[in-house]
Amino acid sequence: MDQRTLAYINLFAVLGTLPELCRISPEAQAYIRNQNVSVGFTVKGGPAGTLFFEHGSCRMEEGVDNCMVKIPVASCEKFNAIIDGKATPIPVKGFTKIGFLTGAFTKLTDLLTRYLRPSEDDLKDDRFFDTSTRLMFHLIVGAVAQIANEDPVGQVSASYIVDGKIRVAIAGGPAAYLQAKNHVLTPVYEDTDDYFSVMEFCDMRLARALFDGKVNAVTCVGTGQVRMGGMISQIDNVNRILDRVSMYLA
Amino acid sequence: MAHPILDHTKSREQFARAAKVIPSGVYGHLGPAEGCFIPVSAYPQFSDRAQGSYFWDIDGNRYIDYMCAYGPNILGYNDPDVDEAARKQREKGDCTTAPSTVMIDFAELLVDTVASADWAFFAKNGNDVTSIAVRTARAYTHRKKLIFFKGYYHGISPWCQKLDNAGVLEEEVWNNIYLDWNNEAQIEQTFAEHKGEIAAVIAQPYMHGNFADNTFPKPGFWQKVRKLCDDNGTVLIIDDVRAGFRMDIAGSDHYFGFEADLICFCKALANGYNVSALCGKDFLKNAVSGLSVTGSYWLSAVPFAAGIACIEKMKRLNCPQLLIDKGQKLADGLKEQSKKYGYDLHISGIPSLFYLRLADDPSLMLHQAWIAECQKRGIFFTSHHNHFVNASLTDEDIAETVEIAGEAFAALREQGR
Repeated sequence: MDQRTLAYINLFAVLGTLPELCRISPEAQAYIRNQNVSVGFTVKGGPAGTLFFEHGSCRMEEGVDNCMVKIPVASCEKFNAIIDGKATPIPVKGFTKIGFLTGAFTKLTDLLTRYLRPSEDDLKDDRFFDTSTRLMFHLIVGAVAQIANEDPVGQVSASYIVDGKIRVAIAGGPAAYLQAKNHVLTPVYEDTDDYFSVMEFCDMRLARALFDGKVNAVTCVGTGQVRMGGMISQIDNVNRILDRVSMYLA
Repeated sequence: MAHPILDHTKSREQFARAAKVIPSGVYGHLGPAEGCFIPVSAYPQFSDRAQGSYFWDIDGNRYIDYMCAYGPNILGYNDPDVDEAARKQREKGDCTTAPSTVMIDFAELLVDTVASADWAFFAKNGNDVTSIAVRTARAYTHRKKLIFFKGYYHGISPWCQKLDNAGVLEEEVWNNIYLDWNNEAQIEQTFAEHKGEIAAVIAQPYMHGNFADNTFPKPGFWQKVRKLCDDNGTVLIIDDVRAGFRMDIAGSDHYFGFEADLICFCKALANGYNVSALCGKDFLKNAVSGLSVTGSYWLSAVPFAAGIACIEKMKRLNCPQLLIDKGQKLADGLKEQSKKYGYDLHISGIPSLFYLRLADDPSLMLHQAWIAECQKRGIFFTSHHNHFVNASLTDEDIAETVEIAGEAFAALREQGR
């Protein structure tokens, strides 16, 4: 497993799911309701990105130029350890906002962890199941893009992906697309009619079972539970990248 | 009268049954995922029986079959001459401790038939013989590197995959060089950069990859590659598993006016009986003899007898030209229908192995919809792969196909597409 790729996944896909968490979870919204703060992570030899929390909403941008709290990390390995809870981040700028880091931000990441690594009991609650599955979907779409762009094997797959939008959707649930341009994938978390290929899961239950590895995607194509169409070579190569998502997110 | 829309209820039921005990339900190219059954509801998933150019699915629907089991059916399903030869050999013996001399008869026939062949070596699947060909080239040259052309398919073994294929190790593919088809300058540069390192160039006779129009070699391309191989002591391997005997009975290298050092056959070799053959030049005979390769069923006699009957019949029929003519007739009819309904149908590749694409929509979604409408009315086309023509295909079959293609175009128009 490539630590640099994992750092990109951890920043832009895992922490990159916080905006979606803040959008769909009232509990998360409550944590940041009166906040106006931005937290930037800059990883030596790896990614740099900033989370902006502004009055109940959250967004992520590349780079740390405009952050209030800046957290430099010495290496990708160190950053991955921070995300794994095995190391502590130390800010060099924005000490007046440190309370946000130890308070609301920590609550948010704990909540995100609960949704992304749910217990069986939590999943019995329909609302929790729905939120958790939407966040998993968001995380996986983001991780596919990071692996395609950064992982040496993922780049091989991406080198065969022709330009165009790859729509990924759950019927009755979230939809997103990966914009392929010059073999670089960019995740866009909105639906589109203007796609070049599509992979759609028939419902949230099936999507969840696929994410958890409880059913096989190829079999589901045969049963019609997974619908694909358009430029299938795009889907083929995205599926090869998806194989690596589970390795990185395990 | 318009053709009825076919029902696949039993196929669906049996797929659900299969999925419980078989990974993917139906895996590989005959399955709904790799076979691009889009949408899956339009396609039959299991066959009941076959005859000539048709197969019947388990719901009782008859299909005019343009995939021919992805190539093996070249004379027609259950060809009486091939089946009779196989039956007679089966009565004598098939999988026995000592091989039958029918194996020698088959090798002699291939050497007499295939222009570049001095010997024949038998196995079971296309993947067996492409793998043996590469090992032969490496054994002979004592080199590691292989040149491939992007869009290729040479089987399922790790050596011929890309790095991102699940279960493939970096070490298994790091001697692979993937070049662009028809790019002579790139090939020349690669030989210059890897002087004395390239064991083999392996390629299909023309580019018949999936999801894209099939492409012939530029004039002089193969002669250039042949010369580069000669000048650099590199073995030239032609993978004729798919195109073999549908372009030229003497081999597809012969069709394009050059000679391969090794040439691989399978699919059409025995009209569905399970055998593959690697044919080669005399100078590689010792190298292949030195390999440790064998298989439990590789020397079974029944497929050899079937292969002899198949090749003899293909010769009598002048099969490649017959198939090209039938394919051209079909192509003309399909083009006419597409024009009538205002669609831009592109047909590429040699007519006996034609590839279809509706160019109105580059995403292929319109094309997939048209293919699905054909499927629903009893024509087995695919949306992603080249097709195969067989010798039992009649003018009436072609006329019915063209008629259904027109109904499918009309259905698209009704859908506002």
